[in-house]
Order: sequence, then structure tokens, then C-alpha cells
Amino acid sequence: MTELLYLLALQALLASVPILLATLGEILTERSGVVNIGVEGVMLLGALAGPLLVDYMRLRAGLQLPEPLWPLVAMLVAAAVGALVGLIHGYISAYLAGDQIISGVAINLFAAGAVAYGIQAYWGVAGYKQIPDWAKADPVPVAAFSIALAGLMWYLLYKTRAGAVIRACGESPEAAFNVGIDVYKVRLISTAAGSSLAALAGAYLSVAYLSVVTKEISAGRGFIALANVVFSNWNPALAVAGAFVFGFFDALSYWLQTLGVARYEITRMIPYVATLLIVAGVIGRAKPPRAVGKAFRRE
Amino acid sequence: MRRLLLSILNTAVALAAAFAIGAAAMWATGYDPVASYSAMLFTPLADRVYLLSALAFSAPIVLTGLTFAVGLRAGLFNIGGEGQVYMGALGAVAASYLARNAAALPLAVALGVALAVAWSAVPALLRIWRGVNEVISTIMMNWVAYWLVIMLVSTVFVNPLQPEESIKTPEEARLQPLVAGTDLTLAVPLAYAAAVLTYIFVRYSVWGYRISISGQNPLVAKAYGVKPERALLLAFVVGAVAAGLAGVLQVVARPPSYSLARNLANVYGLGFDGITAAMLGRGHPLAVALAAVFLGILQEGARHMQIEAGTPFEYVRIIQGLIILFLAIQMLRRP
Repeated sequence: MTELLYLLALQALLASVPILLATLGEILTERSGVVNIGVEGVMLLGALAGPLLVDYMRLRAGLQLPEPLWPLVAMLVAAAVGALVGLIHGYISAYLAGDQIISGVAINLFAAGAVAYGIQAYWGVAGYKQIPDWAKADPVPVAAFSIALAGLMWYLLYKTRAGAVIRACGESPEAAFNVGIDVYKVRLISTAAGSSLAALAGAYLSVAYLSVVTKEISAGRGFIALANVVFSNWNPALAVAGAFVFGFFDALSYWLQTLGVARYEITRMIPYVATLLIVAGVIGRAKPPRAVGKAFRRE
Repeated sequence: MRRLLLSILNTAVALAAAFAIGAAAMWATGYDPVASYSAMLFTPLADRVYLLSALAFSAPIVLTGLTFAVGLRAGLFNIGGEGQVYMGALGAVAASYLARNAAALPLAVALGVALAVAWSAVPALLRIWRGVNEVISTIMMNWVAYWLVIMLVSTVFVNPLQPEESIKTPEEARLQPLVAGTDLTLAVPLAYAAAVLTYIFVRYSVWGYRISISGQNPLVAKAYGVKPERALLLAFVVGAVAAGLAGVLQVVARPPSYSLARNLANVYGLGFDGITAAMLGRGHPLAVALAAVFLGILQEGARHMQIEAGTPFEYVRIIQGLIILFLAIQMLRRP
């Protein structure tokens, strides 16, 4: 029995990693005053970019690297692609004062198309590609990394000058501007960094956790991460607990499916229903950064 | 007048920029942009059957576009159209299961719309009572609908002769093609009529006014004696009726299958196409209908693009994402 509980906890932990990474990224982004509802799309892009780019580097460009490095490279290039998308979203949101929600929707639509298109265009298969063994990563170290990152992010936001600057841009950009902070730049960098974490979450899904790329691999996890941002009240430390709760329901869904308790369609609903219930239960208490989602314009 | 010209110009710039970047992406991934675009944009216009097929594709997009557009007026980001389309289609299939004669048609509309409205009530009430952001709740409802409908279509409502789809709408309850040999049924005029009706509703009815003023500023709305909660609820319900109808029509008015595919292929993505239509049309119901015609042409054209130039069909969604990205740059937030 204890062994079973231990196993379920481990499964929940591994399922929580993508949600945690994406949540941490979005907390950083929103703390600086930018909202990115394109997290889901960035996650999808990361899930494709990681395995696709290492496949290209190794099999088509003939790049030589020590074997164990490939999975790491896959995650790093995915994060780089995520940062690039974040730069675009951050530039539109901060410098151009564009509509952040619409830009986020655009990222989601673009990614849904690009991943389906990319799998077809690169591998010539429709919507589903197995990850080769040489590119697979062990999920456990990534889980450890994500929790350590949560601690680091908490320290950054609450205990350093840089964190105070980021939070000031999200709470009161006018005041931040008046003391000489470049609000636009802070928002741009925070958005790019946050987006790179969402893409890393996606690469974790394809390279480490599920060992496959599909056109629906993120399956709403990006939006669950958005729910977790609210659930954790924009606090990276609480995000760990929140991600574990959401991850638990994800793991539970697969467990019940394996046990054959109910049809798999029913068990697959569990994470979404749980998210709805959790969000309905806690949202009243949450306090978002005051200027989140609002463009800042110098008078 | 100047504002209208300006927004037409802005939209044209967004389209041109998106197609230019799309062409570069196509070229970089080894496809021929010239052949692809010519198959995508000109083939549907060059043939009457293809053009009518494009119009048939546009009908559900008009409806889901209205869902999102009405939401926008109320200040909502209602992306639940997708799931509500599934529920509408489910209602139509259930009606065919219950009635094996002409009565299946009115029953399909009633059941489909009722299910879609029920589905939208969850995010609506969560938003009103608990302040839950509708972006998150509607996406969750979409996924629950996805699995629920897949389960029911592969069990209770499965077609024993063709297990890849649901039972078919009874012969007498089907909307037949208006032009022989095409997919164009009554669904198309109905969808465009819905756009006109929605325009009249939001522009000239008192409830449309209440929705708009609540969306612009809930505090001002309260000062005028308008209850923003009720306006929100109404916007959700109107949107759900449109999306539900889109789902129903995809089943009862879509030759030759007159059924719901088990993998939901004939309803999948319609909610998201509607978002694109609503944004291209800048939330104006008539402009949304016009945008849906354009998206219908893209949809029909993408089939020809895949056949003639080998470029994957999914390219359509990439171009939609790019168009919206450029629209986002232009849509400056109100100060």
C-alpha cells in the first residue's frame, strides 16, 4: 500500500513538471505586467522544436556530440525557440502596446498549425512521431530542476533588486518609470524568459515524459498552468504545491485508465474537471499584479 | 468613413504581411509558395462547384464567429465555441437516435442548442459567481466536451455499419443540397441570416445595448441601471445558440455523410476558425460573415493546395495565427 502511494506520488510529481515550468514562466511574465495566454502554443512549439532540431543537427547536418548530451541539447534549443516567440510577444505587448490577449490567441493558433504542419513537412507522417532512444531524457532530473527553479524564482522575485524591479513594472509601471526603470525592456526580457520556460515544459513532454510528438501533445496543460498561476497567487513557491495538485489529477487519470476502472474517455476528463473545480474554489482570494495585461505608455 | 477605410487598410496590411511571412515559411520547409497560393486562393474561385463548397465551409464559421464576436462586445474572451459546437453536434446525433423520421430535424435543433447553452452556462456562472476567468474555464469545458462526445459517438450513437462515424440523420430530416452536386444546403443562407439578425440585435435592441455598455465599462453600465452580470450571461447564451446551431448543421445539413465523425473531424477546429473570423471582422457581425467567406475559401483552397502542391493542409492555421498576430499589433488597448 505504501509502495503504491509512493508510486502514485512519483507519477504525480512527473506529471506536475510541465505545469510547474510553464507556471513559473508565466508568473515571471505576469509579474512584469505582461500576460501571455499563448503558453499552450509555446509549449506545443517547444515539444516539436526540441526533437526536430536535434534530429536535424544529428541526422541531416551530421553534427557530432557525446551521446548523453543530445536530450539536453533538445531541451535547450526548445527553450531558445520559446524565448524567440516570447521576444515577439513581449515586443508586441511592451513596445508596440498591442493587444496582449489577441497576440496570445495568435500564438496558440499559429502553434496548433505549425506543429501539425511541421511534423508532416519534416518527417512526412501525419500528426504523430516517436522520439528515438538517443534523444530521450530521464524525467527525474528535470523534475528536480523544476523544483529548484521554483526556489530560485522565489528568491529572485522577493529577495533581489532585479525582482523588485520586475514586480514594480507589473504593479505600478508609472512609478517604476519615474525612478528610471526601463519598463519596456524589463517586460520584454521577462516575457522572453517566461516563454522559454513554457517551451522547456513542452520539450519535457515530448523528450522526457511521453517520448512522442503529437499535434495535441500539450492537451490543455498550458491553460492548466494559467489556472495554476492564479491558484498559487503569483507566488513561485506556492506554484510547486499547485502544480503537484494539478499533476496528481493528470497522473490519476492515467492510473484509473490503466486499472480499467472506467472508459478512457472518462478518465481523460479528470484533469479538466478538477481544474474547473479548483479554480472555482480559490479564485476569489487571488490578487493579480495590478498592471498585468495593460500596456504602458509614456505620457 | 475614415475609420472604416483605415480598418480596411489595416486588415489588408495584416493579410499581406501574414501571407508574405507564410510564403517564406513554406519556401524554407521545401514547398513551392507560388503553386501553393495559386491552388489555395485561385482554384476555389475558378470553379462554381468549388466556390459553392467554400461557401458551405464558411457557414459554421459565420456562426462560431458570431459566438466570439458577441462575447467580445460584452468584454468576454469566450473561446468555448469549440466545445459548444461539439455539444450541438452531439444533440443532433442524439435526435437521430431518438427519432427515425422527419421529427429528428426540429429535435436536433432543440437538443443541440439546449446542450450548447447548458455547456456555456458553466463558464458563465463561474465567471459571474466566482470571478473565474472565462479563457481558462471555456478551454477546460472544450476538453471535457471533446472526450464526452468522442465517448458517446463511439458507444451509444455509433453507426454499426460504419464504426468510424455516428448514426446518420434520417433521410427525411436531412437538409438536401440547394444546388445539385454541391455541398451547399440551407445551412449557408441560415448562417448568413443569423449574422444579419445578430447585427440587428447588438445594434438596435435594448439588450444588445446593455451587452455593449457592460463590455465597455461595467461601472458606467451600473450607473445606467444595467446589470452587467445579466448582460454577460446573455452574451454567453447568444454565443452558445450560434455555436450549438453550427454543430447541429454540420450533422443534419452536411452531405454526403450526415453524421458526426468518431474523431470529430467534421466539427474539430470550427470554434477556433470562428475566433479568426471574429477578429478579422473586428467584432462587427456583418464583417465577421465576410471574413468567414474568406476563411471558407482558404479552407476549400487548402484541400486543393495539398493535392496540387503537396503543401500540408494545416498551413491554413499557421496563416490564421500570423494574420491575428498582425491584427494584435494594430489593435491598441484603450487607455
